[in-house]
Amino acid sequence: MSEQASKAPEKLNGLHPAKIEEIMCSMKQPEVLKDVSGPWKSRIVWQDGFRVKAYMRNHAVEMDEPGALDATDKAASAHEQLLSAIGSCLTVGFVLNATRRGIKIHDLEIALEAYFDNILKWAGQSDTGNPGYRGITAKLFVKADADEATLRELWRLAYEGSPVTQSVVRGTPVNTEMEVV
Amino acid sequence: MSQQQLFPVTVVGSWPRPSYLIQALRRRQAGEISFEEFQSVADRAVLEALRAQEEAGVDILTDGEQRRDNFYSFVVEKLGGMRLMKVSELMDYMKDRARYEEVLRALDVPAFAIKSPIVVEKLREKQGLSLDEIDFVKKNTKRQVKVPLPGPYMLTRSSYFEGLSDKAYASPEALAADVIQILRKEILALKARGVDFIQLDEPTLSQIIYGAESTETFMCAALPNRRDPSEELALAVKWMNETVAGIDGVRFGVHICRGNWSRKEEVLLKGNYGPMLPYLMEMNIHQLVLEFATPRAGELEVFKEYRNEKEIGFGVVNPRTDEIETSETIASRVRQLAAFYDPEKIFLNPDCGFGTFAERNVNNADTAKRKLQAISAAAEKLRAEFAGTRSESARAH
Repeated sequence: MSEQASKAPEKLNGLHPAKIEEIMCSMKQPEVLKDVSGPWKSRIVWQDGFRVKAYMRNHAVEMDEPGALDATDKAASAHEQLLSAIGSCLTVGFVLNATRRGIKIHDLEIALEAYFDNILKWAGQSDTGNPGYRGITAKLFVKADADEATLRELWRLAYEGSPVTQSVVRGTPVNTEMEVV
Repeated sequence: MSQQQLFPVTVVGSWPRPSYLIQALRRRQAGEISFEEFQSVADRAVLEALRAQEEAGVDILTDGEQRRDNFYSFVVEKLGGMRLMKVSELMDYMKDRARYEEVLRALDVPAFAIKSPIVVEKLREKQGLSLDEIDFVKKNTKRQVKVPLPGPYMLTRSSYFEGLSDKAYASPEALAADVIQILRKEILALKARGVDFIQLDEPTLSQIIYGAESTETFMCAALPNRRDPSEELALAVKWMNETVAGIDGVRFGVHICRGNWSRKEEVLLKGNYGPMLPYLMEMNIHQLVLEFATPRAGELEVFKEYRNEKEIGFGVVNPRTDEIETSETIASRVRQLAAFYDPEKIFLNPDCGFGTFAERNVNNADTAKRKLQAISAAAEKLRAEFAGTRSESARAH
């Protein structure tokens, strides 16, 4: 356990620093590492129109498309939720690293934004190009008990250590299969 | 009301908060220190603000709003039934979140940085809104004092949030009735303490007129719900007149500006006062405290039609720049107005405060003081030039 963590209060940023430290250290053990490495799962069940439901462990999240696409707009679209997943993962990383260093966070928000590179490909109006986002910006707003240099370092660690962000940044391959039933 | 010399120099309200005060405010808001502990820290900051204004030659002072989180949110400490809520806390109650998101993007601010006093129960009066402030100021300056208070329209509109406030008040109009009574009681209590200049802040009226879809000033969390401008302005007039009805012996000012949260001029609202003036003239108040130091305020000429109907608190310096306006630049601007406006009806002030929001000082105390010194120097020059005007004007009356 680091010296900072040993001096940490029982609870910080809604977490228990001592417990967090213990969990993080335990991940070096092969059996724990195996467990946390995966498999991570999601099952998508089509509902109607463009509306789907994603089931993950004992949780469910709905996704839909905007009304302009003849959809019911009952939930955010998958690509918006990708932005949210990146932002959420960056948040978790930032909070983890801040808590391990004993830094109290008062407020934190991340504003993400992206444009499609060539959405015409999705629309079947173009055969070439990338229908995905051409780039994603993520701006962190944070109020915390640390100097700016320290907070910038936490932001770097959050980005470099973010499983979701790095899956996108590194272009993780998606292997597809299909079965007709 | 006090007799004034020509071109009295005054301020709009806020003075830059020193860092020790901001730290204390944060601790107060986190519940780490008591109201009384915070007040003792703020006493020091108020004294510094008063001395700076006196040294700069200001005739009518404020306490620099040093005890306030901002010019309207401070009421949560003074009234029961309100909670200071961040926009990020209000998101779950918003009907049109996408619109708020556009506003946040346009302003490039996080939702946690914008706080509004939100009515969550029936309002309950406690110790007055500004009486503690004025008691301290009166003990510590001999100069005339102005007390800025949130206007009835802004206080009602900014604090009524559907989903939270409707549990206590069926409508904003129902809330306004209580707000007006509270403000009237406050004004009478201030008058009894010898205050004869009260400024009611209604900057959100600019937002109604000039705010476009994604360029709102976002001064109040509740305001991005767009409404019909003429209906809203009529309501603002009605509520203002109900607030001041029958109260004499007090100079009432109304302050309107186009936002003061950023030094980026391009993100602030712009447009002349023309569309607003017919409504402002209907308000039974004495003075319009307005910004005029940037081109965003539009042409002075729109006031020709309404010349001399109200006093003008003439904004002559931009509170958001490092550059100090010269006294000659200021005097020259005043001469343009005085060419068609009675000099006795012209007060001089900055466009707005120097730290409208506690954690967003738009300038430092040194620059603020130097800007006020420039106004005072301009006033001296103008008094000499217009020395004969007062008696002529008095005879004409």
